[in-house]
Amino acid sequence: MKSKVSNKSNAGIITLGEFKKIPGYPEEDDFSKGPIAVIECDQDIPCNPCEEICKYGAIKVGKPITNLPVLDAEKCRGCLKCITICPGLCIFVVYRDYTDKTSLIYIPYEFSPLPEKNTYVDVLNRRGEKICKGSIRKVIKLAGSNKTFVIGMEIPKKFYNTARHFEF
Amino acid sequence: MADKRTSIIVCRCEEITDEEVRKAVKEGATSVDAVKRVTRAGMGLCQSKICYLNIAKIIHEETGIPVSKLIPMKHRIPVRPVKIGDLDN
Amino acid sequence: MSDFVIIGAGPAGISAANESARYGVKVTLIDENNLPGGQLFTQTHKFFGSREHRAGVRGFQIGYDLIEEINKLNVDVLLDTIVYGISADMEVKYVTEGSSAKSITAGNILISTGALEKPVVFKGWTKPGVMGAGAAQTMMNVHRVLPGRKVLMVGSGNVGLIVAYQLKQAGADVVGIIEAMPSIGGYKVHASKIRRIGIPILTSCTIKEAKGSPQVSSAVIVGVDKNLREISGTEDEIKCDLVCIAAGLKPFDELCWLLNLEFKYINELGGFVPVHNDDLETSMKNIYIAGDAAGVEEASTAMEEGRLVGVAVAQKLEYLSDRQAEKLKGKINDRLKYLRLGSFGKKRAEGKKKLTSISK
Ligand SMILES: Cc1cc2nc3c(=O)[nH]c(=O)nc-3n(C[C@H](O)[C@H](O)[C@H](O)COP(=O)(O)OP(=O)(O)OC[C@H]3O[C@@H](n4cnc5c(N)ncnc54)[C@H](O)[C@@H]3O)c2cc1C
Ligand code: FES
Repeated sequence: MKSKVSNKSNAGIITLGEFKKIPGYPEEDDFSKGPIAVIECDQDIPCNPCEEICKYGAIKVGKPITNLPVLDAEKCRGCLKCITICPGLCIFVVYRDYTDKTSLIYIPYEFSPLPEKNTYVDVLNRRGEKICKGSIRKVIKLAGSNKTFVIGMEIPKKFYNTARHFEF
Repeated sequence: MADKRTSIIVCRCEEITDEEVRKAVKEGATSVDAVKRVTRAGMGLCQSKICYLNIAKIIHEETGIPVSKLIPMKHRIPVRPVKIGDLDN
Repeated sequence: MSDFVIIGAGPAGISAANESARYGVKVTLIDENNLPGGQLFTQTHKFFGSREHRAGVRGFQIGYDLIEEINKLNVDVLLDTIVYGISADMEVKYVTEGSSAKSITAGNILISTGALEKPVVFKGWTKPGVMGAGAAQTMMNVHRVLPGRKVLMVGSGNVGLIVAYQLKQAGADVVGIIEAMPSIGGYKVHASKIRRIGIPILTSCTIKEAKGSPQVSSAVIVGVDKNLREISGTEDEIKCDLVCIAAGLKPFDELCWLLNLEFKYINELGGFVPVHNDDLETSMKNIYIAGDAAGVEEASTAMEEGRLVGVAVAQKLEYLSDRQAEKLKGKINDRLKYLRLGSFGKKRAEGKKKLTSISK
């Protein structure tokens, strides 16, 4: 919707600057150890299924459950479970160093049809703007995921922090 | 804002307009019940489920009475549409 | 005669039925729909909360679980049945589809009738193609009818955000969400998932007119200032065939007004709310209130409030000793307290406090 009313607003978006303050966001170094969960949750909503589902104890909410989830990067194995349980669909798993030049981003996906493996897609950022091209590498249905699919998308490495959806 | 809305319907069931309700309020109908008696707004099938807030807002705009002091119109049995035939016992 | 008549089988009503029937109370549960569950069956998204509140489970699945629970207990469920009145001597008057009006005398009554959507008035709001977001959600998720192909959503509270997302899932093109306030009303995570799929959210913006005849074919939107006054010259016409209104909910309490219960106006809870005590008993003895009807909150709080009433009624009828009942209530109240924490929950907690503190 193009409009004279500003559409560039940050309404509903966590900006990159704000990220650094979220306890669910890994440190820059943590991305070098393999796939890791990035929890983009910055409001005190009473909610804790991510903590419950993580069998490695890598996510801590504690009490009261309005606490923000804290990620223990040492413990996180990038198992994808938390992606499918989060009611806010705000957890991603980022494998920054997937190859020399590319990253693999795992995103929650609840639309139909599902993309097929190796489809070439437009990659979208948090504003839904096209930022680059990418390829669908994984289409995963975890047991108990309750119809939330996980899509693994390969993208140029420099977008590992901005790529969050796709269009095809 | 208000003056541009005059011919807009505010009570859908009885097709009463913003203008008609405003006129009634200016003439002294400063409660939801009073507006109903003067204009029929709120007397329709839905029994003011939809229009109550619209009427309260207009009274507020015209008189300054806060919406929190404007209680809904008097409710009577049946509060939902029921066929007369079903009630005969 | 029934020990306990519950009007409205949403999460509040069903939970009250389960919780009281479990201890032996003879319950009659009435709902106008052909399936108990209330709003839960419109909700295809996963719920927030903790394990006790079925977090991560989709709304309609919670609905099926509650029904399964109720089927195991001895509850008299009357569906397709509208309650059209309650008399001062506790006679509940109802009519079931296809039969004539009946009534039942109740020892205790719970009014758990949910909430109603608030209307927004603008030029053309009565045209076909303008509807409440809740109505659109019911059409698409319960009746499987897509209410429009190109949708403008008005309001960015959780209802507006979630319904916009679900419309997109159902195949509609959501052209945008507009919000009169300078920032969004709902959870940021809901808004984020809208933004990343490419749906814009315009803040400080409202709807001025729905055009088209008879069906909506476009909407005129306009920017507003801090005092919500339209800024002329910022109008824009947007093509759409559905304008969805998500301007908030208010407690649906026609039966309470009918009984002349004491009300208090509490903005945080949606407007006028029946005053009640900690057991959710209203100003009239033996009449209880729970769920959105007792202040608009969430399904999770509605279930806990329903349970509280269930325990209170079982206690009153001596199916539970005072000690047992107080212990159960303590647990429920603890969980409720958790649900009313955080910047969103806190406002509701304050609203509830205003409501119960004056009723003693
Ligand atoms: C889009 C949307 C998203 C939501 N998402 C969440 C969420 O993620 N998590 C959460 O916890 N909550 C959520 N909610 C809120 C939740 O749905 C409500 O708070 C909850 O359903 C309230 O339960 P209730 O039992 O009070 O009322 P309801 O579920 O509304 O049930 C009331 C029932 O009473 C019936 N009834 C009313 N009057 C009569 C009468 N006279 N005779 C017979 N029957 C009658 C109605 O038909 C209805 O079936 C959401 C709501 C919406 C609209
Ligand atoms: S809209 Fe006024 S009575 Fe129904």
